[in-house]
Amino acid sequence: MSRFAEPMTRLIDELKKLPGIGSKSAQRLAFHILRSTDADAEALADAVRDVKAKLRLCSVCNNITDVDPCIYCSSTTRNQRLVCVVEEPTNIAAIEKTRHFHGAYHVLHGSISPLRGVGPEELRISNLLRRVESGQVDEIILATNPTVDGEATAVYLSGQLKRPGLKVTRIAMGIPVGSDIEYADEITMLKAMEGRREL
Amino acid sequence: MPLKESEAIILRTYPLREADLLVTFFTRLEGKVRGVARSAKKSKRRFGGALEPLTYVRAYYEDREGQELTRLDSCDVIESPLANEVSYPRAVALGHVAELLGELLPEREANDAVFRLTLSVLATLSGANVWMPVTYFELWLTRLTGFLPELSECIVCGEALNGSRAFFHALADGLMCPEDKRLASAEMSSDSRSLAAQMFRAPVESFSSTTWAKARASDLRKFLVQTLERHIEKKLVTAAMLEKISS
Repeated sequence: MSRFAEPMTRLIDELKKLPGIGSKSAQRLAFHILRSTDADAEALADAVRDVKAKLRLCSVCNNITDVDPCIYCSSTTRNQRLVCVVEEPTNIAAIEKTRHFHGAYHVLHGSISPLRGVGPEELRISNLLRRVESGQVDEIILATNPTVDGEATAVYLSGQLKRPGLKVTRIAMGIPVGSDIEYADEITMLKAMEGRREL
Repeated sequence: MPLKESEAIILRTYPLREADLLVTFFTRLEGKVRGVARSAKKSKRRFGGALEPLTYVRAYYEDREGQELTRLDSCDVIESPLANEVSYPRAVALGHVAELLGELLPEREANDAVFRLTLSVLATLSGANVWMPVTYFELWLTRLTGFLPELSECIVCGEALNGSRAFFHALADGLMCPEDKRLASAEMSSDSRSLAAQMFRAPVESFSSTTWAKARASDLRKFLVQTLERHIEKKLVTAAMLEKISS
């Protein structure tokens, strides 16, 4: 028999499905919701409902958005001819933090991963190719992760995107700013040396 | 318990809890080991790119009493697949090597021959020309794990197949002569059989001077994959992906 009333058990069970939430954390969160005001609890329920009801993928770049096209694709102040390709929508936030990139994005929603059975056909590439074919793009920046899967994705895309007049670039890899060369691993150091620039 | 140190090849990682990774790695000392790399997802400082599949590392790990999983303390990279361009065919071939090792090797059973085979094949798997190293690896791994049947005689009648046509079937444990072949069998060319015999006599480097088309020895690879899949009783994800590669 459950230790809690049925609605509480149901809430705990639902919260347990979230990543990184175990039984104890789920219980703690459930009791926090129980103790919060009706307005707060309703706001949480509405937020969860709205995420599912109102969010969709941008038809241009595949970013998660509530308006189509998304704010990056519809912006008139951003350079729409410069497109940065990322694996996940969360990667956009990391690039936006720099405040130095003013181009548009394209989200693949994954990377090629042979061990997980993910090939190029599972990625959202077709609308990127359409964008390129229509001549709307001057440069593509491939900002996939510096992993075997991310590299395979970047190399595959560079082959697919090769067109006269289109520049395809890959983000640089190397020593993180503020760290010490002494502690850099061999492969990071190798990539840093390969990607050196003239001063 | 003291830290153990061994050369190792990283096979696969899985996310574990908030920030940890569950790592399967093939050590020279103890064979396939599974361990937890704490905070490997959150902080890249300790492991960097060392936990990428097929990275050849010096691994430091510690067994804990009563616990199945070891604690992977750190890894020094000796050779990384990221040192060369990772084309799509190469990524799939690397994944295939990792999947085969992960599926076929028993846990905590040292196998120096397979370790040396993997290192030599990885060294030749540095470009987009993947078909030769993949064929060599599949052939030798099938043999070293004891699943390779005799390729020179019919499994039904025992007649020598030298020079004559040979057939294989997904449910048969070896090659068959034209008289004993099953319905819907596929043929293995005598070229592929003689190539297999050559591969048993020479190191992988001796084949790396020529570029192989996908069609070369494709019948041999199909036979080997069918043999391995029958023994592990599941389909190899990367074998299907290799099939889809166009050249």
